[in-house]
Formats: sequence, C-alpha cells, structure tokens
Amino acid sequence: MEDKYKTTKEKIAEELQKYALDTLPEREEKGLDEKTQRLVRDEANEGLDAFFNVKIKNIHKIIKKQHALKIKLDKKQEWQKDTYQRFNIYFRIQHMMLFSSVIILIITGLPIKFPNSPISKFMMSIMGGISTQGILHRIGAVLLIGFYVFHTLYTIFNRDGRRDFVQLLPKPKDIKDIFQMIKYFFGFAKDKPKFDRFSYIEKFDYWAVYWGGIVMVGSGLIMWFHNIALSYFPKYVYDIAREAHSDEALLATLTIVIWHFYNVHFNPSRFPGSLVWWHGKLTKEQMIDEHPLEYERILKGKEGKND
Amino acid sequence: MTGCYRTRKMKTNRRVAAHPVSGKKAGTVLAISGWILLSAVMAALPVKAWGQASPLYQKCLLCHGRPGFKKLMPDGKVLELFVNKSELEHSIHSKLHCTDCHADVMEIPHLKVPGKVNCYRCHYKDNPNGAKPANEFFQSVHGKLVTENDPKAPHCQDCHGGHNVQKVDSPLSTVNHQNVAYTCGKCHKPQYDNYIQSIHGTALLDRHIKSAPTCTTCHGKHLILQPDNPESSIYPLNVINVCSKCHENKELIRKYNIPGGRISTYKESYHGVADEFGSVRVANCSSCHRAHLILPESDPRSSINKANLAKTCGKCHQNANVNFTKGKIHVNYKSKSNGILYYIGMFFEILTMSTLTLLFIHILLDLFRRYRSGEIRGKNKRGE
Repeated sequence: MEDKYKTTKEKIAEELQKYALDTLPEREEKGLDEKTQRLVRDEANEGLDAFFNVKIKNIHKIIKKQHALKIKLDKKQEWQKDTYQRFNIYFRIQHMMLFSSVIILIITGLPIKFPNSPISKFMMSIMGGISTQGILHRIGAVLLIGFYVFHTLYTIFNRDGRRDFVQLLPKPKDIKDIFQMIKYFFGFAKDKPKFDRFSYIEKFDYWAVYWGGIVMVGSGLIMWFHNIALSYFPKYVYDIAREAHSDEALLATLTIVIWHFYNVHFNPSRFPGSLVWWHGKLTKEQMIDEHPLEYERILKGKEGKND
Repeated sequence: MTGCYRTRKMKTNRRVAAHPVSGKKAGTVLAISGWILLSAVMAALPVKAWGQASPLYQKCLLCHGRPGFKKLMPDGKVLELFVNKSELEHSIHSKLHCTDCHADVMEIPHLKVPGKVNCYRCHYKDNPNGAKPANEFFQSVHGKLVTENDPKAPHCQDCHGGHNVQKVDSPLSTVNHQNVAYTCGKCHKPQYDNYIQSIHGTALLDRHIKSAPTCTTCHGKHLILQPDNPESSIYPLNVINVCSKCHENKELIRKYNIPGGRISTYKESYHGVADEFGSVRVANCSSCHRAHLILPESDPRSSINKANLAKTCGKCHQNANVNFTKGKIHVNYKSKSNGILYYIGMFFEILTMSTLTLLFIHILLDLFRRYRSGEIRGKNKRGE
C-alpha cells in the first residue's frame, strides 16, 4: 500500500512538473527571463508541496480504503476457492433439528428426573408448571421424531446420505486409529491418525445418537401414549420404559455436555466454536488437519467436490 | 370438685348445729359437734345420693332432673329437656352454675326458651384457661357456617358435648381419640360407615391400637377445611404429608408391620413428581386407596385389590385393563425384587459410568497432548 501511495504521489508530481515544463515556452514567449523561469519552476514545485500538504491525508485514506477492499475481495475469493463443502443443506438442517429438539428436551426433562432439586423447581416455575412442561417436552419430542424420520429418508433417498451412512459404518481402521491416537497423546507417535470423512469420534457421536434415539423415542412413546400402551403391555413394560428413558436421558445429556461440547466448543483449537454447523464448509487447512484421507481423495478427483 | 361440695355441705350442717356456746371451748365444741353431726349425716345418706344436695344445680334440677322431662314444640318436635345429673357432676364444668353457661336464664322458672350456649363467653382467644382453638374454629368450614347462622352448623357443644364436657384425654370425652369418629359420624354418616370398615377404623375401634388414625388425624381438629382449599390438610397436594406422618414413621412401620417405602416410591413415580410440582389432577394417595374406606390389598373390598385395580386406575386412565395389575404399582427402582427392572437400571448405570469415564480420559489425554505441544500456552498448532 505504501508503494501505491508513493507511486501516486510521484505520478502527480511528475504531471505537475510536466505541466510547468509544457507551459514554459508560452511563458518564454511572453518574454520571461531565465531568472523568472527558474522562479516559476520553483513555484511549481512549491505548489506541488503545498498541494500534498493539504491533500495528502485524504488521498492516503482513499487509497487505503480501496486497497483494503481489494485485499478483502481477494481473500474471500481465495477462501472460497480453497473451502470444501463438508455438509450439505439437508445435513445441516438435520443437525439444527437435532440440537434444538435436544436442548428443549433436556431443559424440560431434567426437572422431572431431579424433582427435589431447587433448580428443578425454579425451572418448572419458569415453564409454568408441569402441564406446560409436558406440552413443551412433547413439542421437543415431535421435533426429535421429525429429525429421525428426515434422517431415515435422507439416508435412503439422498446420494450424499447413502454415501455418509456407508462412511459412518465402523471399520477396523477405527480401532487402529484409536491406538494411534493414544500413542500420539503420550508422544510415542509424531502424527495424529489420518482420518477419512468421519473420524472415530464422529462415528461414536453418530451411533450414540442412533442408539439413544431408539431408546428415547421408543420409551417416550410408551409413556406419552401410556393408556394405549398399557392396554397391550403389562405395567412393568411401562416401568422399564420409564427407567430406560430416565437413565438414557442422563447418559445423553452428560455425553453431549462433556464430550460433544469439548470436541466442538471447548477444545483449544475450536474455542468458542465454529460456524461449520451453519455453512457446512471447511477450509483447506482444516481439511488437511482433520480429514486428510478425504482431502487426498478429493484431490485425486475420485469424488470431486460435493456441493 | 367433690371436695367443693363437701365444704359447702359442712357449712350448711354447721349452721344447723350452731347454738350459743361461750368461752374458750366454744370453738372446740363447735368443731366436735359439727364433726359428729357431719358423720351422722354422711352415714345416714345413701351412697348413691352423693352430690344430690348440690345447691348449684338443685333449683334447675327440680324440673330438668326428672327423667322424661320434655316439651312439645310449636313445630311438632319434642324437645328433650332432661339433664342427667351425674353427667354434669363428672364433667369438667362441674364447678359451674347452670346459669354460667345458660346465661340468658334470669329467673326460675324461666319463661323463654334459652338460646344456644355461647362457649366464647369464657373460651375467648386470650383466655389463659385455654380455648385458643376458638380462632381456628371460625376459619374452618364448620366455623364459617356458624358465622353464617346456618341452622345445621355444628357449634362447640355438638362435638365436645353439652353437659358432659370432658378433657380430651378422658375416655368419656366425645372428642377422645377413640370416640371422635362416632361424634363426627353423627353428621358425616357415609364417611363414618366407610371409616369403621377401613383398616384404620378396625385398628382403632376393634383392635384398640391408639396410634391408628381417626378423623382428626387427617382432617385436623378445629381448623377443618374443605378439600379444595389449598391450606387444607387434605388438599390434593397435602394428602401425602398427612399420610407420611405415619407411613414414613419407621417406628410405627416396624411396630405394626406396615408396608414401608410407600411414600418414597410414590415420590419417585410420575404421580409423585407431578404432585411435587403442584399438579392437582394427578393421583395422590387417596385417589387409589380411597379416602375413608382404606383397606389392605388382600381384602376383596379394597380398591387396590387385584380384582378392582383396573377399575381404580380406570378412574383416570382410559382402557385400563388387567395389564395394570401385572407389575408393582409402588415401584422401587433400586430393589432387586423387581427383577428385569433392577437389571435394566444396573445396565444403564454401568453403561453411563464406563462411557463417561472413557470419554473423560480421552478429553484429558487430548488436553495433555495439547499442553505438551504448547498449543494451550499461546502457541499455534505446530508449536511455533
């Protein structure tokens, strides 16, 4: 930017000098002697200095602004050029459905699990009593069931969905990766394991939600429609559903709050969180760092960019 | 009490025996002669006639002491006017005159029908001799009817007895723990009939177990409120507090072999949780066990007998059928006797513990590695 500024300054100085020189013959014709000519030339130079003294700041600002804009545009283009669409729009919508329903369900459900805690009483009074809590919890439940239906359809009918499901299946490599990771943690290995599209961490999260979903939705439906359920099943089935619902809820809550939040929010390289859930994109650097095998595959053109 | 009459009697006798005796010995003579006379009178009196001569009631009992003393009222009702003398003598008010309570009787024989006795003449709020409950009574459902001048409203004497008022501890008292159910039953007949059949009623009245509850144990004594009043002890949210007074009392549970853990298991159930959070609709103890006709599960009349359970649950749960009887109602999730339920709970406990332990170790190792490579100490990923 300094160079540009300097060149502009020089250009203007040159132009003004040129103007002074161009007009010299005219002035000579008017019969100005050499002394006067020199004076005029000095004047021109002085004028140039005065011009810069007044205008320098503004010119500087304008140039700076334009240049910054250009850098920004360049950067954006460069970033766009080097990002990879990791999650498509359906995937992101599913994730949003999942987290909003789970947040609702945790907030409305935990007071039932711990009815004697003062926080539970406070939460319940905020929600407006147990009948409102019940309605809110069922709204969350409908959203969650909607998510599972959406995800099943997506897995069956969408090409990315089918590919992701296959990629998410556990493989022997995951166990190798775990051992490699432990070695890396203790410093016996220099590099982290090379992950494909989904690391074993992400696979664990996915299958945890799968298992949790079956337990929670199944037991939840038994409790929601207990009058129907109890006309077909004995009462201890209801009791089992209640026990499973309550225990699995605690397990899921703790896993999300401790494990998932650490992996996506609280770990030092992510803190306080990224916007991948919103735009679904990873940069080249992130791809190389976190999913090198997938990146290699994309480079080879086996799969191409998926967007 | 009786001592009181005796002194008065002595005085009377002394007056009869008085004759002019002068000198120092006058007092002694008087005392001795008085004593002899008194002994003579006492010996002459039949045992039954003790207190017969009580001047306190004497005048009134001239008429009211005659058995079968009654009056036909203008509305056709017959008013029993007989007053049992011995009742009066053994009551806590035996020291009082008739007119202390029947204060509107100004002359004898009285011409007007005396009004209802007003106990608050003595038993007002700040009277140190007791009667603090007067205030509570006027807030109660009974007291409110009294202030509204309801002709059926119960006054103090309707429960505590008119002429036979006794201390609560006395077995003769109408409001004694043993007798109060009968007293309440005079007006609340259906409830009384149910109560005397219930396990509580039979325990108290037939087996004479004094810890067994009677009406006042649950409903309160003077501050009896309607079930829909949130301050009432039998308001749906408060019922559990009433029952837990005994059914969570370990001493009573052990002594009378009452099934334990009923309250804690209720509180764990959804009914209990909703009750905790103030749901009035949800089932409380009395919704299933009934309020008055509480019977053990083994009794075929019981609402919680396996044969009747579907009907009991069906009060709230549509389609309630025999499935409701398969499995325990008061489920203790931590008891091994529940079989599969216990193992499912244990499975989830182990699953949660082990999963979270592994995840936590992974997090700690990750942080440890990041610390060692300098990432946490303000350097970038490659430790530069």
